[in-house]
Amino acid sequence: MTGFPVLTTITFLPLVGAAAVLFSGGQRLSRWIALATTISNLAISAWLYRHFDTSTSTLQFVESATWIPDWNIAYQMGVDGISLPFILLASLLSVLCVGVSWTAIRTREREFYASLLVTETAMIGVFAAANLFLFFVFWELMVVPMFLLIGVWGGPGRVYAAVKFLLFTLAGSVLMLLGMIALYNSCETLDFTELAKAGAKLDSEFQAWVFIAFLAAFAVKVPMFPLHTWLPDAHTEAPTAGSVILAGILLKMGAYGFLRVSLPILPEAVQVFRTSMLVISAVAIVYGGYVTLVQTDVKRLIAYSSVSHMGFVTLGIFTLNASGIQGAILQMINHGIITGALFLCVGMIYEQTHTREIKDYGGVAKAAPAYSAFLALFCLAAAGFPGLNSFIGELLIIGGAFQTDAWLMAMAIWGVALGTTYLLWLYYRVVMGELNPGLSGLKLELGVREVATLAPLAFLAFYLGLHPESVLTYIRVPAELIASGATP
Amino acid sequence: MNGASMDDLALLIPELILVSTALGFILAARRIENAHMATAGTIFAALSAASASVWLVSDSARTAFGGMFIVDGYSQFFKVLIGAALALTALVSERRIDVESVRPAEYHALLLLASTGMMFAASAFDLLTLYLGLELTTLCSYILVGITVERPKSNEAAIKYFLLGSFASALFLYGVSLTFGATGDTGFATVALAVSENTLRNNAVLLAAMSLIGAGLAFKIAAVPFHAWAPDAYEGASAPVAAFLAAASKAAGLAALGRVALDAFASPSGIASGFLIGLAALSISVGSILAVSQTDMKRLLAYSSIAHAGYALLGFISGTTEGASATMTYAFLYVFMTLGAFGVVIALGKRGESLDGYQGLAAQRPGTAALMLLFLLSLTGIPPTAGFVAKFVVIQSVVSTGHWMLAVLAVVCTVVTAFVYLRVAVLMYMKEPQTPEEPARFPTAVSAALAIAALVTVLGGILPGPLTRWTDSALAAKSATSISRNVDR
Repeated sequence: MTGFPVLTTITFLPLVGAAAVLFSGGQRLSRWIALATTISNLAISAWLYRHFDTSTSTLQFVESATWIPDWNIAYQMGVDGISLPFILLASLLSVLCVGVSWTAIRTREREFYASLLVTETAMIGVFAAANLFLFFVFWELMVVPMFLLIGVWGGPGRVYAAVKFLLFTLAGSVLMLLGMIALYNSCETLDFTELAKAGAKLDSEFQAWVFIAFLAAFAVKVPMFPLHTWLPDAHTEAPTAGSVILAGILLKMGAYGFLRVSLPILPEAVQVFRTSMLVISAVAIVYGGYVTLVQTDVKRLIAYSSVSHMGFVTLGIFTLNASGIQGAILQMINHGIITGALFLCVGMIYEQTHTREIKDYGGVAKAAPAYSAFLALFCLAAAGFPGLNSFIGELLIIGGAFQTDAWLMAMAIWGVALGTTYLLWLYYRVVMGELNPGLSGLKLELGVREVATLAPLAFLAFYLGLHPESVLTYIRVPAELIASGATP
Repeated sequence: MNGASMDDLALLIPELILVSTALGFILAARRIENAHMATAGTIFAALSAASASVWLVSDSARTAFGGMFIVDGYSQFFKVLIGAALALTALVSERRIDVESVRPAEYHALLLLASTGMMFAASAFDLLTLYLGLELTTLCSYILVGITVERPKSNEAAIKYFLLGSFASALFLYGVSLTFGATGDTGFATVALAVSENTLRNNAVLLAAMSLIGAGLAFKIAAVPFHAWAPDAYEGASAPVAAFLAAASKAAGLAALGRVALDAFASPSGIASGFLIGLAALSISVGSILAVSQTDMKRLLAYSSIAHAGYALLGFISGTTEGASATMTYAFLYVFMTLGAFGVVIALGKRGESLDGYQGLAAQRPGTAALMLLFLLSLTGIPPTAGFVAKFVVIQSVVSTGHWMLAVLAVVCTVVTAFVYLRVAVLMYMKEPQTPEEPARFPTAVSAALAIAALVTVLGGILPGPLTRWTDSALAAKSATSISRNVDR
């Protein structure tokens, strides 16, 4: 391991890129700068992934520098097997976001790519932070560029969606701020590792209050039922790149928060709230599934499916056993890949059709066979088809749920069945049958750039389906550690 | 009381610099037609006064004039802050003076005299010196608010401000006389001794005195329920004056309030902190909620400044040095971000005064819009801006005293204020421009002020270390009699 601050580099490189974009002369030039920045970041993340030691749960590539010495707050970065896959995913999705925005974004490109790059900094920062204060800073930093992405380049209802997104998120995160201050006052440190040691000694009532404060922030981000109402608006109105980031990374930040903060630091509170969390997750799975079924807007449908899928993730986390937690993490990666890909697919066709209503589609297979093949692959992957990536994750979660309670497993399987139904029905309505007359004459088939954007995700859907070990080896050790710490 | 010796006068150097510059302006008023000259003079005076106050402070506090005037780390901190606020106000005033046909020398003399009063108040260690300082400030402020004679709104604002202000001054003075009656002195040290001897709870006169003095000071920082003047005064005054009131005047009021609450009326029973809790809770909630429906930018910023006064007060509640340091940090960062926001309003001219003027600003002037967004985010308290650090320290201080409900109220109101500032952000970034684009020209002075404010807003958020170290050491150099209360809860 070198002394080179790799994590700081990948975190702040996009910020430098954003500054370069803003001060670059041309609007056209900005997308090239953005592409170069995101690709370099992806390369460095891949290097990190290769050089990571999977046998230990301690933080690696650790960097530490004094920051605010009077408050005992240091600038600490470090990754473990849970955060590293997310960093890689965030870097990958950022590249694809630049790819999909290449022609779709025509107004104020400089600001767009700058916002996108600042978002990347925040995403990677959240996962690379080894200090709660730093985590919080990146967590909040995420909100502003996202607000602009939705509100400036989004669909017709974009202002409403952007404001709703920001207020929901902020309401959650100010309570997290309070929880953070409570931890800080009683533990006098915000270092994750130190907190995990000090937090367990706190008395259980205090832990419960802090848990609630953090829950407010995490539950909004995940989002957990009934705090999910911002999600359909934000995802639907956001530009494609925004939807991809929202679904791919932002939702995972909440669940990651549970794994990084709630479970290790507040073990007693987790026991207290465990049952309610499991019930809420089960409700999200089934309720989310039914709501998804009745959507008439393609983007909204995929957005609602996230509620159901993220229900699986929180269910897996709060089973508190190794299988459930591993499944949850793996499923987060899978969901990031698949839902990201689905939003990309929708965005690509929307660029031609300018409609999101399902009834305006139909028979797309006739006009765009390659597109239909990609969509089929991603729909099947999202439905948990064996051999594709979601299957393993769902299996692990269902296994974990079974160890906890057979009823939970039943709910999860019900959710899988609903998922298959709404995805295949969506596919049927959009792709099968006769070509919708409204679509004739449009160039629906994918171009080279679009295939290049989708191909990495398609590859991953297969690869992780056949070799889940390539991610699971990273997750296993830390997940088992969390599970053993959380079990009384 | 002995006559003033040279040593005593030496401690007054910062104030003397400001006063002599002001007098110079007044004497040469007819000759100074050029606004640039007056601006330069004011900035020079402000910076010299600030550096003089830095130079004056030694390790221990020094008093002058028989203990009525104190020079310590605390006063030094606020004097530097007031000096900075004065310099920035002078910079942003460049644009308006020509437009509104105000005599530059008069205007700048008033700014200087008001700042003298503020610095004097920051150093007051006696209720009477405090009164003198504050009165000098408010008297100049009345005139500054009404200085644009041709605008009826400005005159109206000045009269309203004057009526309410004199009422508040009367309350304060009545409180001082009651204190004198109860303790036989008006010096903070004696008052503190009397307060600790007979608890406030049993001494109705002292309690009344404290409430009256508190009300008078709450008026100065526009804390609810003594806030009614602020929106009208800010709206009627020309924008640089409003900025000066929102930034410098508030900082001076906080300095005075901190001195009184922590040095003079520091009661172990926590009545003073009960009073502060009420003020803070009301200011935060009323200020942020009333800001929601504003359509005038200066009124919006006025209500936001009311809410910010509440947030700043949070630090004083604990009555400890940590808490006072939190409020000082808050005051410092707040001054720069609010001056920045007002700076954008000023830079935009007439367009900047109403909320509608911000429509589509990002498309027409991306740089100005980005600066405004930065200041608004900072006022909301979103990291990594200075506003977040400010909120973090004061809320941390409240939490450490165990006032959980107040902390929850404070953070929930952050969301309300976020909505307020968001409306501006939405207008700037997500609406089509309504007003035709004007050539983007504003004086270099305004740009310089905006750049400084933006720099502090960013650096204060990323590297707050030096600032917190400064506030801590400023309090360490406070006199032994100061901050007598260290309540263990």
